[in-house]
Amino acid sequence: MNLVKAELRKLFYQRSTYGLILGTIALAILGTAFSPYAMTRIGKGLTMPLSSSDVVDGVYSKSLGGYIFVLIIGVLIMAGEFHHHTAVATFLAQPKRSRVLLAKLGVAAVVGALINVLATWVAIATGAYALSLFKNVAAPHDFIWGNYTAAAAVTGAVLAIVGVAIGTLVRNQNAAVTGSLVWLMVVDRILAVIWTEIGKYLPTGLITAMLNIHLNVKDQGSGLGINTADYLDPVPAALLLLAYGIGFAVLAMFSTLRRDID
Amino acid sequence: MSTIEFIGLTKQYKDLKAVDNLTAKVEAGRITGFLGPNGAGKSTSLRCLLGLATASSGEALIEGKPYHQLAEPLKRVGAVLDSQGFNAALTAKQNLLVICAAAGIDDSRVLPLLELVELGHAVNKRTKGYSLGMKQRLALAAALLGDPDILVLDEPANGLDPIGIAWLREFLRNLANQGKTILVSSHQLAELQHTVDDVIIVNHGKLIAAGNAKEIMAGQSLEEAFLRLIGVAA
Repeated sequence: MNLVKAELRKLFYQRSTYGLILGTIALAILGTAFSPYAMTRIGKGLTMPLSSSDVVDGVYSKSLGGYIFVLIIGVLIMAGEFHHHTAVATFLAQPKRSRVLLAKLGVAAVVGALINVLATWVAIATGAYALSLFKNVAAPHDFIWGNYTAAAAVTGAVLAIVGVAIGTLVRNQNAAVTGSLVWLMVVDRILAVIWTEIGKYLPTGLITAMLNIHLNVKDQGSGLGINTADYLDPVPAALLLLAYGIGFAVLAMFSTLRRDID
Repeated sequence: MSTIEFIGLTKQYKDLKAVDNLTAKVEAGRITGFLGPNGAGKSTSLRCLLGLATASSGEALIEGKPYHQLAEPLKRVGAVLDSQGFNAALTAKQNLLVICAAAGIDDSRVLPLLELVELGHAVNKRTKGYSLGMKQRLALAAALLGDPDILVLDEPANGLDPIGIAWLREFLRNLANQGKTILVSSHQLAELQHTVDDVIIVNHGKLIAAGNAKEIMAGQSLEEAFLRLIGVAA
């Protein structure tokens, strides 16, 4: 419990943590606030009418859009130790490194899940208000509330764990944050659109699959776009995302135990 | 049993043997200077002693055990390392409270120690605004949080001005008078001449001499004795 208390102190003594929490919420809100406008203006013959429950589910699915900040919180929990050279003090206080890492992973998972669920709920409320400004809007499917909350919790926990692992493997904080952002915001999303067979097994595809939404916005000419029918079912997607988290945690453990602390 | 013991300690990096078969002891209740030029292997030896670096061979023990086997290590050993830092976004008090939490030390230790190292005026100041000297004082406070009997200090005078160095000398002597065992490394030999009881002298990773400081100095200054021992005329 001592280590958990120390990790919580490190996290919540820093103003940047509150900035990242606000960032998570803000990005999620932006997604649900503007997607009703975006979905009714796709053009090129692609139509996503808000009179369809599937499309309204899609609007609410944007409520998970802030997860990138949760990943960054995870990165900072570990890479911040090397950035500030506090790793020495941390491992002097508890030289059994596996215990330190377990505390970091645990705190990251719980805090990541809570932040992502909070952001999701706030964004869902924002989306409801945004949709109320349109006419002829269908009601969403009832299952989305539970699905989205569960998906937000799993996504927040796993991405925060992955962030800790990245911070362990890539000790340079700036490189770890930049690399994570480029992967999740650019590479992962591009793969999800242009190479669905691979993209559906990557985080963005798995998160989308967990939401159990039914959208088909593939352009028939280029074949680009997303058809959620191509994705995994929610439970296998959640399990695979959890497996990513466990895999990264094991990598982090292996790395932390082996390498010298500078 | 010696308080601190290096037994054939060797640390090999790819092309560099930073520490080469170091064997030496630090006796309880004394101030021992761990002396040598920059790159002599002092910091690496101390990092091996404190479990931050893995020895290639040999071992470094505290009260007969590797550091990682000590129960509540910060209550046994306090350390100031040159690579140690503080979270710049946190205040001095917050930085120490984090260490207290991790080591199971009562939070009430923080403020008196910050007063002791004369940082009482900057308790709630973020450490990014601290001078090097203030950070060294904060590091000393951190090392004393668990009220340990053993202190391992790596170049604690770095960044201190002459007044700070005089303060440190007095500070260490007071701690030694309380019966604490202090292993203090430095490449600035003159600073430690009047502070240490024993010395361990290393050069190029190898032990050059170890023992009672006065006997090793043999009437010379510590600097002269060091130059004589490594074969450079004073």
